[in-house]
Amino acid sequence: MSQASSVQSRYRINSMLSTGLYYLALTVFTIIVLVPFYWMARASVSNREQILMSPPLYFPTPTLENFGIVAEQVPLVLFITNSVIYATASAVIAVVTSFMAAYAFSRINVRGSGFLQWLLIITVSIPQVALIIPLYQILRSLQLLNTLTGLILVLSSLMAPFTVWVLMSFIKQVPQEIEEAATIDGASLLQILWRIVLPVTTPGIVTMLVINFINGWNDLLHPLSFSSTEEARTLSVAITYIYSYRASWGLPWNLVSTVGMIMVIPVILLVVIAQRSIVSGLTRGAVK
Amino acid sequence: MQRVAKNYLLRSINWRQRRVIIFVVLVAPVFILRLVTSVYPIGNTIWLSFTNTHLIDQTSDFIGLGNYEFMPHDPAIRSALAFTIAKTLIATLMQLFLGLLIALMLNAARKGRNFGRAINLIPWAIPGISAAYAFRWLLDDQFGLIPEWAFLLTGNRPLIFLTALGAQTALILLTVWKSVSFVAILFLAGLQGVPVELYEAAKVDGANAWQNFWTITLPLVMPLVVTMSIFLMIGSLGGIDLVLGLTNGGPGNATTTLGLRIFQEGMRFFKFGYASAISVVLLLLICVLGAFGLLINRKVEVHL
Repeated sequence: MSQASSVQSRYRINSMLSTGLYYLALTVFTIIVLVPFYWMARASVSNREQILMSPPLYFPTPTLENFGIVAEQVPLVLFITNSVIYATASAVIAVVTSFMAAYAFSRINVRGSGFLQWLLIITVSIPQVALIIPLYQILRSLQLLNTLTGLILVLSSLMAPFTVWVLMSFIKQVPQEIEEAATIDGASLLQILWRIVLPVTTPGIVTMLVINFINGWNDLLHPLSFSSTEEARTLSVAITYIYSYRASWGLPWNLVSTVGMIMVIPVILLVVIAQRSIVSGLTRGAVK
Repeated sequence: MQRVAKNYLLRSINWRQRRVIIFVVLVAPVFILRLVTSVYPIGNTIWLSFTNTHLIDQTSDFIGLGNYEFMPHDPAIRSALAFTIAKTLIATLMQLFLGLLIALMLNAARKGRNFGRAINLIPWAIPGISAAYAFRWLLDDQFGLIPEWAFLLTGNRPLIFLTALGAQTALILLTVWKSVSFVAILFLAGLQGVPVELYEAAKVDGANAWQNFWTITLPLVMPLVVTMSIFLMIGSLGGIDLVLGLTNGGPGNATTTLGLRIFQEGMRFFKFGYASAISVVLLLLICVLGAFGLLINRKVEVHL
């Protein structure tokens, strides 16, 4: 009897301890994840005097004047538009072409198909920076430097292998019998893709559109290397220019943070909305 | 006339050939894109590395191993190679360890778990350059939050970006912060894939949580660790966003990585030949890593 109760109380202490540990870990984790955002958000709504205060002002009365200052110094709307076009077009092209390839890989048994899939995976394990010079030369000879078209061409291609990989895992879940029945009924390949495969794999397609959009929105290397003029400049490049512009009073952290927030907020919204979908895509891609 | 020829062609090919044609048509767009923007550039990078191609000097002669012979005498490359390897190894080990801890935390059947899972994605999802500037600002020697707190605690304001060790540590921690969530997501998926029956059986045998972890959880997520390490290392070897934003390679060359060096030599100084030679060194590193990964992967699978 007494032994039983001592086991029980030991169990209770253990579980209290692990509860405490859990919440401590969760709190530390939350702080580490969010503190950089707090500091950036604070600077983006502070004016020049407020960010230069020591000790720092932890909760300044927010001002939106920085957005106006940035918009005066650079064509902010153009850069936002460019980023949206770059990310959206690359994501869509990558998904459309990858969907076709993924269907072929999952449904048509042709000799050499395995080799081609392997080749796709090999090409993405090469760091993109190692290919930046030939890519620069290719775009120059196609007269696509300083154009969004050139950037989209390179990025959609870079996104394709992972997209193929993930979409294949979605297509393989669809029972092949439906497609076979449709073929017997005389449906063409295009009809099968459009009417049968596409509707069933919509979750996978949405997932890859979201993940690719995020990657395109975040991309720095390509626009930084291939567009030196403003027409094809994206937000990720614009922020490096604002950072390198040194005001007489030091680095304009309020302006850098403002552009930083413009870049971060849409992504956070997407993550909140599409969390499950993103996680499923990432895990399918890597775990197989 | 053409149409007649086409119809004749279509009728004469059999069903099997038709499948091949459909296959080729479907995979062609992706493969044309990859050939133009990846396969050809790989070959071209290797070729350029044996030339002295320089966009401004207008040279483009074959110089054999000239670029490679010069590299050991270039102190910037020596330090970049050493730091790149050190950063990659340290960051990857930290990411695997912390990623597993975060995944275990997010896998617990407790309150706050969904909140944790949502914010876990944020560092992975945001632009690298924004994250880099946010950290640069957070650690700013005059007005940053962390130096301010260090000052309140110790009376000293650390000048993080003026010392090599400070800047290198900051870059490694930023790398970990940015990608650990990705590791945690994959570990979490791995943990959720562990059959509950195994734990129930272990419970009957009287195993405690610690034994469960070592004998069930860890061996089952081990193959994931190998795959992920390769992913992480490739990302860390070649990525330039974080280092460009946080330190731009400084102070001196203390935090310059091979990737950043390629970008600077190629896209800033337009020394295409030399930058390509550094790219080839980076490619060789990746090859070694890949071979190593395959080897370990086989071993892990045999052990299971």
